[in-house]
Amino acid sequence: MTRLSTRGLTKRFGGLCAVDGVALELGEREILGVIGPNGAGKTTLFSLIAGSLRPTSGDIFLDGERVTGLPAHRCVRAGIVRTHQIVRPFGNLTVLENVVVAAMHARGGATGHARDRAAEVLAFVDLTGRDGQYPGTLTLAGRKRLELARALATGPRVILLDEVVAGTSPVEAQAFAALIRRIRDERGISVIMTEHVMPAVMTLSDRVIVLDRGKSIALGTPQEVVANPRVITAYLGTAADEAAAP
Amino acid sequence: MTAIRPRAAWRRVDVGCGAACAILALLPPVLELSAYAHNLMTLTFLMIAGALAWNWMGGFVGQVSFGHAAMFGVGGFVAGRLMLSLHLPAPICWLGGAIVAGIFALGAHPMLRLRGPYFSIATIGIGEASRLVFTYWDRFTGGASGLSLPLDGDLKYQLYWWALAFAALVAASSVVIRRSSLGLKLLAIKADADAAADVGISATFYQDLIFVLSGAVVGLSGGLYASYFSYIEPGDMFGFDRSISFVLMAVIGGVGTSLGPILGAVVFVLVRTYLLASYPQLYLGLYGLLLIVIILFEPLGLTGLARRVLRRIRPAPGGAPP
Repeated sequence: MTRLSTRGLTKRFGGLCAVDGVALELGEREILGVIGPNGAGKTTLFSLIAGSLRPTSGDIFLDGERVTGLPAHRCVRAGIVRTHQIVRPFGNLTVLENVVVAAMHARGGATGHARDRAAEVLAFVDLTGRDGQYPGTLTLAGRKRLELARALATGPRVILLDEVVAGTSPVEAQAFAALIRRIRDERGISVIMTEHVMPAVMTLSDRVIVLDRGKSIALGTPQEVVANPRVITAYLGTAADEAAAP
Repeated sequence: MTAIRPRAAWRRVDVGCGAACAILALLPPVLELSAYAHNLMTLTFLMIAGALAWNWMGGFVGQVSFGHAAMFGVGGFVAGRLMLSLHLPAPICWLGGAIVAGIFALGAHPMLRLRGPYFSIATIGIGEASRLVFTYWDRFTGGASGLSLPLDGDLKYQLYWWALAFAALVAASSVVIRRSSLGLKLLAIKADADAAADVGISATFYQDLIFVLSGAVVGLSGGLYASYFSYIEPGDMFGFDRSISFVLMAVIGGVGTSLGPILGAVVFVLVRTYLLASYPQLYLGLYGLLLIVIILFEPLGLTGLARRVLRRIRPAPGGAPP
């Protein structure tokens, strides 16, 4: 069963084609890794799916329903939520309030339950006991957990994780990997994640899609993808490239 | 629901405000206020309402407006025009002015594409454009010579209570908004409108909502002002001075605090009256200086200062919000 799919998704910024005809399918309870060199269009792809940007052309479907071009807040209500690579907590709200405000618009949840849902989600990401603190007093890993909690509080069907593991210590990275698995297994949420930390994506992802200059150049299991010559070329270049270079 | 302050502290604030209103309401008959004091206090109440409403926009949702005189003027002139041309009862005229001013505030909607200081600069443009349009719209506003409204001594005397009730209502609304889930959403939008959208909050909807509410309240304040002084002219109603005065009152009192602008408005009206009488050439310069001092040393204005003093006397157990 396909949870989310895109068809010919394209975003042009003037002459630059940041995302070029990307087609992907995300199953229920699947973790899809999106990898690619810097500037491959990973974050732009996320922005398109999450509604932060409108695609130039192409379509996005969530459970068979077209959600192309919906503004970000409507995407959230439809069930697609994203986190940011550079965390963006509401600095003027406490940790609990940060999550409560996200839970208010949760699908199928009344505002009265926002607080309970927030507490549950904070416990899920292991941030209990920090309710009254302000985000500025948390460590980076703590703020990343808060970012996750805020996204989960909206009750998503699909969550887009932009570089959650990057910038954390190896121990924390392990904890995040476990948390991402639990998001899929315990909450039944489909996950699309980008990551520069290769071991994290490769061990977590059920399938991986590789982007290069906006185009999808490979799709498959992590093992298939790393063996794909086009992927190796995109990351490392080829002998011919080196010869052609000045 | 937002644990900004402990509940007991809030209750004390509620009781204090209620008592203050009751005392103020008894002042005119008990003390037989002089015309001058009556005038000054009524003006203060109207400015309190305006400053609180400005703060919904500038403090709660973080859209700093330098054009609120436009809504004040629209509210005043629409109310005045309704009185002169249709001879409707005053409260209906005020309400009409408030509604039109609220709709007028939606004119800021296209400017939501601008963020931070760019938005503020655009509001200066809207304010000044409104001033010019209404100055040259002779048939509606009487042009530069303005409108004289029918004099009504009884109404003028009663306006003290109208203005007091209005200010109290706006203050109560400020507290309710701030404590409610709406207040939480507004603060989230203020912190990061894009991140707010990413958790499902329609930033533009709530920004528009606050524009309308803030504009309507400032418009109502303009209508009451018009009735009280029974003479209005565009240069005063729409002047840039007036726009700045809303900003100043909120900043002096404490931007973003729920009740700080009340203090700001009181101080502003008193200081302004004194300065205008004694040093008219200095008064704008002194305000500029005051603004700089507040922003440099106490961004939460008098409220911040008061909190600091209170903390000195009795250290708070929970710690204060930033």
